[in-house]
Amino acid sequence: MKTVIDAHNVSKTFNPDTIPILAVNNVHLHLERGEFTALVGPSGSGKTTLLNLLGGLDKPDKGSILINGKDITQLSPNALIDFRLHHIGFVFQSFNLIPVLTARENVELIMQLQHKKKEEIDERVLNLFREIGMEDKMDTRPAQLSGGQQQRVAVARALASKPQFVLADEPTANLDSKSATNLLDIMAKLNQEENITFIFSTHDARVIERARRVITLVDGQIHSDTARVPTDLPHEGEKPRN
Amino acid sequence: MNLKMAWRNVWRNKTRSLIIMISVAIGLFAGLFVLGLYEGMMSERVRTVIDTEVAHLQVHHPEFKKDYDPKFTIDENLLENELKKIPEIKAFSNRVLAQGMLATTTGTSGVQIIGIDLEDEKEVSRVDLKVKEGELLDPGKKNGILISKKLAGKMKLKVGSKLVLTFTDIENTVTSGAFRVTGIYQTINTPLDERIVYVNRATLMDDLGLRESSHEIAVILNKDEDLDLVKNGVQAQFPQYSVLTWKENSPETELLVGTINQYSSIIIGIIMIALAFGIINTMLMSVIERTREIGMLTALGMNRKKIFLLILTETLILTLVGVPIGFICSWFSILYFSKTGIDISSFSEEAMSSFGFGSMIYPEFPFATMDSVLLIVFITALISALFPSWKAIKLQPADALRQ
Repeated sequence: MKTVIDAHNVSKTFNPDTIPILAVNNVHLHLERGEFTALVGPSGSGKTTLLNLLGGLDKPDKGSILINGKDITQLSPNALIDFRLHHIGFVFQSFNLIPVLTARENVELIMQLQHKKKEEIDERVLNLFREIGMEDKMDTRPAQLSGGQQQRVAVARALASKPQFVLADEPTANLDSKSATNLLDIMAKLNQEENITFIFSTHDARVIERARRVITLVDGQIHSDTARVPTDLPHEGEKPRN
Repeated sequence: MNLKMAWRNVWRNKTRSLIIMISVAIGLFAGLFVLGLYEGMMSERVRTVIDTEVAHLQVHHPEFKKDYDPKFTIDENLLENELKKIPEIKAFSNRVLAQGMLATTTGTSGVQIIGIDLEDEKEVSRVDLKVKEGELLDPGKKNGILISKKLAGKMKLKVGSKLVLTFTDIENTVTSGAFRVTGIYQTINTPLDERIVYVNRATLMDDLGLRESSHEIAVILNKDEDLDLVKNGVQAQFPQYSVLTWKENSPETELLVGTINQYSSIIIGIIMIALAFGIINTMLMSVIERTREIGMLTALGMNRKKIFLLILTETLILTLVGVPIGFICSWFSILYFSKTGIDISSFSEEAMSSFGFGSMIYPEFPFATMDSVLLIVFITALISALFPSWKAIKLQPADALRQ
């Protein structure tokens, strides 16, 4: 298995000069290609902060984060933006599609930022919309799409750049049950068929049930890290990873 | 994609964008209209200076203008023959000048006495059009005099009144002559009117003791553009004389044109500063409202240069859409008022007249300064975009996404 993320001794404190909040405390994390991992824990446990650190959206105060062997904590802000563009996909809780662009344009934007050729963009975008089952909604603006449809477009956008892994922050939090199941089906399929690595922060039991690895955070520290067989696959029981 | 996104972002808040676009249009309209007014005023002033006061060119003895000593004359026959051969010259007029004192029973006033040949002068200074009361000078009546309305009021004179002019002749002897007012003239330049009286040239020549010579030849050209060409040609032909253009003879007009241009720049500057604050306010609101979205774009991999360009493009669109509207409005309004004129006599006739301006203003479209105005609008848009764009690129993606 190829290592995708290798985080060592990562800590992050907010408001260090006033009322310090230790959001992530000395976290060690190792993720390999093709993992389908849920990051769980109560509110304020540091899930989103850890995802932001792993995605290069925030810098840790301490520790190193190696993505494919490259320490992203050492990159300049501009280099980090470029690194995110080419290596990391993001899915946000509130979809965060660009409201003035159509679904297709939202997905195309990432590939245009990568300076891909038009033919390549057209082919990839069409394939992604087929994967998410929304070929007929490609030219629709986000406001005309349901929450579930918007989140599916967000997944397509996250995958457009062919990233090393996708970070999804509470992707099903704003979705109804049917939309959430549908979205998880799509992501599980992409994970299994294309070996794309997914890491979710979530409270959602439906997501946790589908994950093959569950990392529990409490007070910014990894409380447990469990490998498991998802409920949609033959159940073989759970075993602790460390 | 950036341009498409910028264009659509501008129209996300239609009311706000339309207000700022209309502000730009009104600002540009106001700026161009004020420039058009000044342009019209200046053009009219220059026209008046050339056509009714100092002509395009004046030829004098080089010593004459130092203290107006009447003995410094020019050979009018020699000059006339040569000036007639120059095709760029439309008309010219010989004048005899004297500095003197006008006296009546009610008082005295210092005047410049200009001896003219009426028919020549009609072509050069349109003296016939200036007379508002009485008649023009009659060459057959030696003691006729034209005085201005301003002077007539000051000296309590009317058509038919008698007055005495006192001045020194070429022998430096003080001499006097009695004159009778044949007509009262009026121009838009009251300070000049108050100082100038016209008499028949032959009469003044006799009184001064001059023969076949004059003090000044005023020249009107067919085209303003030939000014330097003709000046240099005549000066080269007659190096013994001084040939001066209207700019040299009326430096105050040249100064006024320069001053008005500076005022125009200040007014445009004030309008643009007001506009800039409007644009900055609008774009800052737009950036603040989209903090999360901009943070998300950075998170996805849109670099700071592209974010900066996006906000810059939105600002430019916001500004430049108003430009053609302002341009068209000012074009049509200036075109309309250039024909009908704007009458400001009801509130500033006297003030305008004291500076040599008429009370009807015919604005002219400021073609000469158009490029500069558009450049200023463009630069204003660019400068206005800098702060909101800077705010946008300073956003940290994690912080922006938390909002």
